[in-house]
Amino acid sequence: MKQKITKGALILVGVAFLIVMLVLPLATVLIYALRQGWAAFFSAVTDVYAVKALQLTLLTTAITVIVNTVFGIFAAWTISKFRFRGKQALTTLIDIPFSISPVIAGLVFILVFGRIGWANPLLEALDLKIVFAVPGIVLATIFVTFPFVSRELIPMMQAQGSDEEEAAALMGAKGFTIFRRITFPHIKWALLYGVILCTARSLGEFGAVSVVSGHLRGKTNTLPLHVEILFNEFHLTAAFAVSSILVLIAVVILILRNIVEYRVKREER
Amino acid sequence: MYVELQNINKKFGEYQAADDISFSIEKGRLIGLLGPSGSGKTTILRMIAGLETPDSGSIIINGRRVNDLPASRRGIGFVFQNYALFRYMTVFENIAFGLEVQKKDKAYIKERVGGLIRLIGLEGLEKRRPHQLSGGQRQRVAFARALAPNPHLLLLDEPFAAIDAKVRKELRVWLRKTINKVGITSIFVTHDQEEAVEVADEIIITNKGRVEQIGTPVDIYKNPATPFAAKFIGESIEVEDYGRFHGFENEKGYAKAVLRPEFVRVTKIEKEIYPHASERGTVEDIFFRGNMLELRLNVGGVRLAAYRSLEDDLFSVGEEVSVLIYRLYLYNDRQVRLAENASLKSDQTFVI
Amino acid sequence: MALSQAAGHKGADSRLKKFFPVRKGTVIPGFGLSMGVTVTMLSLIVLIPLFSVFLTLSGSTFSDFWRVVTDKQTVATYRVSLSCAAIAAVVNAFFGILLAWILTRYQFPLRRVLDGLIELPFALPTSVAGISLTTMYSDKGWIGRWFDRIGVKISYTTTGIVIAMIFIGIPFVVRSIQPVLEKLNPQYEEAALTLGASRSRIFRKVVLPEILPAALTGFGLAFARGIGEYGSVVFIAGNIPYQTQITPLIIMNKLEQFNYFAATSIALVMVVFAFLLLFGINSLQARINKIARG
Repeated sequence: MKQKITKGALILVGVAFLIVMLVLPLATVLIYALRQGWAAFFSAVTDVYAVKALQLTLLTTAITVIVNTVFGIFAAWTISKFRFRGKQALTTLIDIPFSISPVIAGLVFILVFGRIGWANPLLEALDLKIVFAVPGIVLATIFVTFPFVSRELIPMMQAQGSDEEEAAALMGAKGFTIFRRITFPHIKWALLYGVILCTARSLGEFGAVSVVSGHLRGKTNTLPLHVEILFNEFHLTAAFAVSSILVLIAVVILILRNIVEYRVKREER
Repeated sequence: MYVELQNINKKFGEYQAADDISFSIEKGRLIGLLGPSGSGKTTILRMIAGLETPDSGSIIINGRRVNDLPASRRGIGFVFQNYALFRYMTVFENIAFGLEVQKKDKAYIKERVGGLIRLIGLEGLEKRRPHQLSGGQRQRVAFARALAPNPHLLLLDEPFAAIDAKVRKELRVWLRKTINKVGITSIFVTHDQEEAVEVADEIIITNKGRVEQIGTPVDIYKNPATPFAAKFIGESIEVEDYGRFHGFENEKGYAKAVLRPEFVRVTKIEKEIYPHASERGTVEDIFFRGNMLELRLNVGGVRLAAYRSLEDDLFSVGEEVSVLIYRLYLYNDRQVRLAENASLKSDQTFVI
Repeated sequence: MALSQAAGHKGADSRLKKFFPVRKGTVIPGFGLSMGVTVTMLSLIVLIPLFSVFLTLSGSTFSDFWRVVTDKQTVATYRVSLSCAAIAAVVNAFFGILLAWILTRYQFPLRRVLDGLIELPFALPTSVAGISLTTMYSDKGWIGRWFDRIGVKISYTTTGIVIAMIFIGIPFVVRSIQPVLEKLNPQYEEAALTLGASRSRIFRKVVLPEILPAALTGFGLAFARGIGEYGSVVFIAGNIPYQTQITPLIIMNKLEQFNYFAATSIALVMVVFAFLLLFGINSLQARINKIARG
């Protein structure tokens, strides 16, 4: 009997914690988004700056995910299929962006490409703008989400070993063929999982982008930045209306993540 | 009767782990639960311990129905197949665990644990952690840990399954000796018949969730009660058309027979004694079994095995020999019957 | 013939192999290409930009650096960031263990939904989380107003900062512990049961030591994340100097004032601290693992 009470209490406390910490903030977004009715909601969401911000966010995310996926695959291949000195160091270096504050990530690119940056003379010569322009935003996002795909692939590929690939190589198969026909089927769920995580973080990145962006509405504003601007200007409803789009995307991502994670676990067995 | 199971049933999904099981065990006995993998023996053990609950039936220990008593209150010691020693505790702390639960004072614990460590022969290793011990040592610690709180019943789940063959033999002897010394009622589960036969006072054979036979090792060996028992104990070969052998006739209702190598005698043709009772066969293979030879014979298309001492005449592969079959166990789905070679009797009247 | 072909193209392979000696007999192709791409991208995107930190600081002296990072207001931000992140991480450690336990051991309605929701702080943009938390806990917000009645203010105080840091740290401890609990051999607990132990003793003496390394990892990650977090925290903090100003924000401020030297110096302090923290946690974990596994 006592056991049942303990169990009930634990569940109650845990569920209450999750509801307060996770569900209520979500509810807040929806409540405040619709506070002034559907008309206000729609006008905020279809506002030209909001749409432009969404476009920039999506563009940035697309480029980032592609770049980091390519990197992730190459890095995982290098680390899991070969033996060499310095493997641990390489893995640690790759993980660095994971432990750096986003503000610092943005700062770093200002130091390279900004007014005082050492690459600035070169940029001026080529008439290129990186920081306070779209390229800077993309670079900062790539930096922050850099290890997301590789972090999922490396343990997976290491756990699977290289026996099958070696067998194929001995039979004369070329590198890309080996990857496509032997490695890829094993890792496709882990890869998808990493891509989903990378996408989620890229869509939502705020701190790093905030530093490099310049906040030019319609030009260098991503959706999370647009939310900040609206909020700071006290356009509460608009800020939350736009946020609800991001919440929707987040929920979809969570659902996808769960489905794929289930598949990854099945593959691991 | 100290431990009694009455009409116990347990199903896991489609798998019937226990099918109307009933048996009883006397106090102080060392019982072996023997059966192939999946026969339900581990489930039965776990139900006695309280780690599983039966779907129906009663488990009675020392006169008391314990179905509703939780595992932590049954006073039963359990030794797991993979020892399950607490990894973050030392040997001493592992063994002392049950005593601390009983809130015994430090002096008592120290003395009792010390005594048990001496009993299992691991003096000096008290401060070691499980990963620093060998398999055999870990098993002994698991044994001591289970005994520490003075249980009145000891259960062991395939205690030697995870141990090297050589150490296993020594541990078996040690286990039997120690259990007898402590005098505790014990039930152990195994799929190794040699082990069951060597260690147990009595054996319960299980198969597909049912009890096939209960008896002393010798009993079961000599008088198998069911076809499964006949086939499971000892080495056995199934034969379908047993009527073709001299001295045996195909009996209605018994489609097959089981033959044990001990029932077969092989002699050189020139030394044949009972020509009317014997068959002709060819030696197909000879295997060295450490202390004797096993001969694989082909007798009219049927493959048999027989043993030869190393002291007797040696045979060679391909040699034609005389094969005498003393007896067979005839069986059908439900019954087993011993059949003797009839020609032997009539032949014997000739030889005086 | 197949072996030499498969053993990789010459040229790039053998040059790179001088830097990274590969074990003889590697039969899988592509080492040169994949290592090359990996190292190139890593350098271009991560290492070289990071190196700029040192480049920027190289012109100055250590005492300049020291003066900037020990400035009174800056030090106040260390205090705020560290203490709030520590408290939040402890809370997350406690609830993380509890949540991991109920999610793996019990069944209850909505369990799967709540389990899936745990990653919300990762999926939600930090600014959205930031404005949402700020609004709901402000003294006019639909939660904050109840606290305001009893005189407790949450938004724009360190309490608000702690709550925001708890929010973003939730997944770390839970997800570190869950796999360990799921894979934990039930026989340890069964053995303790047969020895008469109560559920609470089993948890304390048998389960807790097993999950401690994972809990520590989660704690460290949550702590590090709390210190570095910007978006979720900056709105609710209010950023009153000496009181609710977090370190990432002061870096932002220095940047806006074009004080690149100060911004970079403080950033360096943060990076060094994060590194030491992770290193410390890893060592502690290694020690604990050694006890059990040798």
